[in-house]
Amino acid sequence: MNIARKTGGLLWAALLWTMQAAAQGYVSGTVTDMSGTPLPGATITIQGSATGTTADAEGRYALPLPAKGNPILNATFIGYRSEARMLGTGGQGPVDFRLEEDVIGMEQVVVTGTRTPRLLKDAPIVTRVLTADDIRKVDATHIGDLLQSELPGIEFSYAMNQQVSLNMQGFGGNSVLFLVDGERLAGETLDNIDYTRLNMDNVERVEIVKGAASSLYGSNAVGGVVNLISKRQTEAWTANLNARCGAHNEQRYGGSAGFKAGKFANTLNVQHTSVNSVTLKNAGDYSTVYGSRTWNFKERLTYDATEKLGFTARAGYFFRERNSSEASKERYRDFSGGISGRYDIDDRNRLEICYSFDQYDKSDYGVRNKTDVRDYSNVQHIVRGLYNRTFAQRHTLTVGGDFMRDYLMSYQFADNGAKHQYTADAFAQFDWNPSLKFNLVAGLRFDRFSETGANRLSPKLGVMYKAGNCSLRGSYAGGFRAPTLKEMYMNFDMASIFMIYGNPELKSETSHNFSLSAEYIRGRWSLTATGFYNLVDNRIATAWNRQLNGMQYVNMAALQVAGAEANAAVKYPCGIGMRLSYVYTYEHIRKGQPLTSSTRPHTATARIEYGRDWKRYGFNLALSGRWLSRVETDEYTSAASYEETERVRYPGYTMWKLTLSQRIARGIDLTAAVDNLFNYVPSYYYNNSPATLGTTLSVGLSVDIDRFFRK
Amino acid sequence: MRSCSLAARCVSGAMALLSLPACNGLFENLYDEPAAVDSGFEVVDPAKHTGRIRIDATSYTDWNYVDLRNRKITTLPVEAEAPASWDFAVHRYDAKTNGGAVAETGSGDFETLALPADGYVEDEWTTDRITVDMSHMMDGYLVYADSYCNAELSKWLDVDTSTMPPVYTASKRIYALRLQDGTAAALRLTGYMDDAGVKGMLTIDYLYPIEP
Repeated sequence: MNIARKTGGLLWAALLWTMQAAAQGYVSGTVTDMSGTPLPGATITIQGSATGTTADAEGRYALPLPAKGNPILNATFIGYRSEARMLGTGGQGPVDFRLEEDVIGMEQVVVTGTRTPRLLKDAPIVTRVLTADDIRKVDATHIGDLLQSELPGIEFSYAMNQQVSLNMQGFGGNSVLFLVDGERLAGETLDNIDYTRLNMDNVERVEIVKGAASSLYGSNAVGGVVNLISKRQTEAWTANLNARCGAHNEQRYGGSAGFKAGKFANTLNVQHTSVNSVTLKNAGDYSTVYGSRTWNFKERLTYDATEKLGFTARAGYFFRERNSSEASKERYRDFSGGISGRYDIDDRNRLEICYSFDQYDKSDYGVRNKTDVRDYSNVQHIVRGLYNRTFAQRHTLTVGGDFMRDYLMSYQFADNGAKHQYTADAFAQFDWNPSLKFNLVAGLRFDRFSETGANRLSPKLGVMYKAGNCSLRGSYAGGFRAPTLKEMYMNFDMASIFMIYGNPELKSETSHNFSLSAEYIRGRWSLTATGFYNLVDNRIATAWNRQLNGMQYVNMAALQVAGAEANAAVKYPCGIGMRLSYVYTYEHIRKGQPLTSSTRPHTATARIEYGRDWKRYGFNLALSGRWLSRVETDEYTSAASYEETERVRYPGYTMWKLTLSQRIARGIDLTAAVDNLFNYVPSYYYNNSPATLGTTLSVGLSVDIDRFFRK
Repeated sequence: MRSCSLAARCVSGAMALLSLPACNGLFENLYDEPAAVDSGFEVVDPAKHTGRIRIDATSYTDWNYVDLRNRKITTLPVEAEAPASWDFAVHRYDAKTNGGAVAETGSGDFETLALPADGYVEDEWTTDRITVDMSHMMDGYLVYADSYCNAELSKWLDVDTSTMPPVYTASKRIYALRLQDGTAAALRLTGYMDDAGVKGMLTIDYLYPIEP
C-alpha cells in the first residue's frame, strides 16, 4: 500500500512538472465531500472552455490554465452541489474543493428567467422548479393538477359554464404566460388557455417565474411565466405503458416509446383520459360537473447533424370532448408543430432559429345529426431567432426577435368572422457576472402590434448577491398584455341578455413588478422568503356602456398587488422529507373603485413524505395538503349599472391527499392515492369551491418495459 | 459557416412549406358546414301521415303558427292577431294550441304510440310565461307578454335557469294534441338547436291526422 502511494505521488509530481512546462500556469488541488472523503471522478473544468479533467482515486486533480484572463474553475460531481472559484492569472497554490450534497436539487438547470441555461442556484431571477419526481409524486395528469398541488397562491376555479379560470397571486389566466419549451400557446376560453392540453407526459420539469417577464417574452407575461420543459431521449430505447383508474369512472391510459440511434432520437407519447359527468350533492352555481374525454399525442424527433449543429422537429395533436349537454358536446382540438435548429458556432457563440405553429379549434358536435361544426379557430405562426454570446467566459449577451401572425375566427365576432394581426419584437439582455458573488441582468424588449399600432418597451433589471449560504435577489421588471383580437373586435349576443362589444381603442395592460428575495441553503435545509409588489394599470375588462346599451371591453383603474411568500424544505437521509409554502397576497384599488377580484389572501401548501429505496423494492408515502383562506369581494348588483356593489364572502377550505407510490419490481410502479382525505364537501358549490363529492380513491400502474431488459 | 447556412436553409424551407398553405389553419375538412335551415315542413310521408317541421324560434318577440292540415308556418309578432288557420304555435320553447288540449304520452316512438284517453290540458292565459325581453335578466327581472300558453305541451323541454348557462332537458316524449275540429295530432320535439349549436332552432316530428 505504501509503495503504491509513493509510486502514485511520483507520477503525480511528474505530471505537474510536464504541465508546468507546457502551459502558462497550472492549478491543482483536491475534491472532497464535506467530511474530507475524496470524490474520485469529480469533474474540474475551466468555465467557457473545453479544458477539464477528472479527480483521481485520491480526489486529486491538476489542470493547465489559459494564458490570459481570470479563469473560473468549476468542480462538479453527481449528487453534489457544484462549486466555482475565480482564479488569478499565472501560477496558483492548491485549490481544494469541499462539495456539499445536493439534497435540495439546486444543481437543476433552468432556462426561463434568462432564456439561457443557468443552474438554479445561480439563476438571477427567482425560479421555482417542479421536477419529474414532483410530477410523479403528485400523480398529476395536467399542469393544473401539478401547480395547484405544489404551489400556494394558485387557484383554478370555474368561470361561467365550468370553463377553468386561473388566479395566480392576483393575476388571471391571460396575465400568466404558459409556454411549452419556450413556445406560447394558441386559443383561449374566457381568458384562459386550455390547461388540459398541457399534460405531464414527457415533461422533464416545469419552471415557474413569478412577476413580470415581458422583457423576454412580450405580451401576457404580466404576472408570471410557466414553462414546461420536455424530456430528452438519452437511452437507446424506452417504452412505457401506464394506467390509472379513479372515482366517477375516471380513467387514464398512456404509452410512450423512444429511441436514440446514431444522430437521431425520437419520442412518441399518447394519452387518453375519460371521466363521467357527476351530479353534485348540494346546491350550487352549477349542479353537474361535465364529464369529458381527451386524447393527446406528442411526437418529437431530434437530429444532431454534428456536435455543433442540431435540429428538433415536433408535432402534436390534442382532442377534448365535454358532455356539456345531452344534445351536443363541445369539442376542442389543437394541432401543433415546429422545427428548430441550434448552431454552436464556437465556445462563445450560439444561434437558434425556430418556427412554431399552433392551431386551437372549438366545435360543437350535434349528437342527433352527428355533425361537427367549428365556430372558433386561433392559428399562430411564430418565427424566432435567438443569439447568445459569451464574453470573458462568464458574461452573456442574448439578442433575439420574434415575428408572429395571429389569426382568429370566432363565434364571438359578427357573422362568425375572422381577424388577424402581426406582431414583431426584438429584445436584448446582458447577464453580467463581475464576480462569483455578484450578478446583474439587464434586458429590454420592443414589441409592435399591427392592429393597435401599439409599441411597447419592456425593461428588466435583476441583481443577485451571494454571501455564504445566502443568496439575495432583487428585480424590477415591466410587463404588458396587448389587447387581443377578441377584446378589440368582439360583437357577441350573450343569449339575448346583452351584447358584448370589442374596443379597437384599448390600451395595453401594463405592470411594474418589484421583487426582493432571500434564499438560505444549508445542508439538508432550504429556506426562501420573497416580497413582491405589482402596480397593474389599464386592466382590460368588460363594463356596461350606456351609449351602446351593452357591455364593452375597456381599460380599468390601476390595481396594486403586493405580498410575501415563504418556503421551507428539508430532506433527511432516513427518507423523511418536508416542504411548506405560504403566500400572502394583498390587493388594493383606489378608494371608490370596486375590488371585484376574488384572490384569496392566505394560501399554503404542505408535503410530508417518507420514502425508502432498495434493490427490488421502493416506496414513497406522501401526505400533501393545500389550504385556501376565505375571501371577500365586491360584486355588482346589476350588470347594467356600475354604481352599486355588494360584499360577498366565499368560504375557505383545506384538502389533503395521501399518496403511496411503490416500485414493486424493476420497472413496475404502483400508485394508490386517497384524495380529499378528510371528506370535505362544500355546503354550496360556488364556482371557486372544489367540485368534490368527498373522499375518493385512485390506483395507477406504470410499467417501464425497457427496464426489464436493461442490465 | 457551411453548417450555419445549411441550418438556416433547412429551417426557412420548412417554414415556407408549413406556413404558406396554412396561414389560417389546417384540417378544415374535419368539420361540417352548418346547413342553413329555413322554417318549413320537410320529410313528409303522406302515406304514413308523418312529417318533420323546422322552426326558427330564436326570436323572443314572435309566435310561429303551425297549420298541420295545410303544412304552413306563419311567423307573427307576439302582440299580433293569430292567422285564420293554425293548430299549434311556438315561441322559443313555449307552446300554445288553437283551442285544443294536450296530453303527454308515455311513448317517445311513433311506432308504439298509444293515445291517452284522458289527462288533456287546455291552454291557460299567462302573464309571466312568454318572455319578450331578456335584457334585464341580470337586474333580476324579465319582460313578459300576456298570452295563452299550453303548459302540458311546453313540458317537451325543461329549461332550468337556476344555473348559468341554463340546463336544457328534453322530455323526449310524444304529446297528443286534440284539435278544435275533432282531429288529433302527435308531436315530438326532436331537437332544439341547429348544427351550429344555435338554440331556438326547433325540429318537431309529427303524426297527423291520427286515424282512429
